[in-house]
Amino acid sequence: MSEVQRKKYSDRDKNSIFDNEFMPHIDSMYNFAFRLTFDEDDAKDLVQDTYLKAYRFINSFEKGTNAKAWLFRILKNSFINEYRKKSKQPTKVDYQEVETYYNSESVDYSITSDLRVDAVKDLIGDEISNALNSLAVDFRTVIILCDLEGFTYEEMAKILDIPIGTVRSRLHRARNLLKEKLRSYAQNMGYDTEED
Amino acid sequence: MMENLKSSGDRKLSCGDETKCFQLLESILDGENGLDSKQVLNEKLAKCQPCFEYYHLEQAIRELVKTKCTMQPVPEELAASIRQKIEEIR
Repeated sequence: MSEVQRKKYSDRDKNSIFDNEFMPHIDSMYNFAFRLTFDEDDAKDLVQDTYLKAYRFINSFEKGTNAKAWLFRILKNSFINEYRKKSKQPTKVDYQEVETYYNSESVDYSITSDLRVDAVKDLIGDEISNALNSLAVDFRTVIILCDLEGFTYEEMAKILDIPIGTVRSRLHRARNLLKEKLRSYAQNMGYDTEED
Repeated sequence: MMENLKSSGDRKLSCGDETKCFQLLESILDGENGLDSKQVLNEKLAKCQPCFEYYHLEQAIRELVKTKCTMQPVPEELAASIRQKIEEIR
């Protein structure tokens, strides 16, 4: 990313940017925060802190650029720096371990799931949501950013401070893990997921 | 549902390079490939059964995540409380 040119906005500009470019993303921000923290109060605090930081650092935001990605990046960094430490939800996987192990860009694409399309289509919302929530936070995050929020790989790379190749491989692994979860749900419903 | 498999006789049953193909299919599904991807995709899916199955499963899962992971209702007071905090630091 190019060097950020610091601006000197007037109070009026600041208010206008805040109201017109930042606040419209509050729904997505809250949703992201909730899926990171699983707690209503923590999610509210996280979103509020993010907006306060956004206001404080508004001079490093260029008016008219990608406010949503900028805000998501602040939120994600706040989560890592502050909330993850005191989160009530114990992280299932050690973060450092995930980073070193899963950040390699070479991915084996040949391990395919035997999950079937018709079994997937009969799964209900809670099962999908639970499967997503059960993923380690780094994997959960890329699926939320890509599928729920529609960010491009390039935007995700900036939000997460990782190379595009890592975005791609992490997404692939995240989806494989999700498929494994869904497969166990499908098996519980009596679908035969084995190859015949 | 079985319609998908009807013409599987015309497709080869193993893929020459799954790593490359599946990676491409994922990029296309994520909207990362340009204009010419539609034709590449159609040709690939018409010729290769593993690619065909992989594409449709991946597509179904993306669709499911998009439609079933509903938005959390945002607490009503959140926006007002943010605005109030901003007022305080102005």
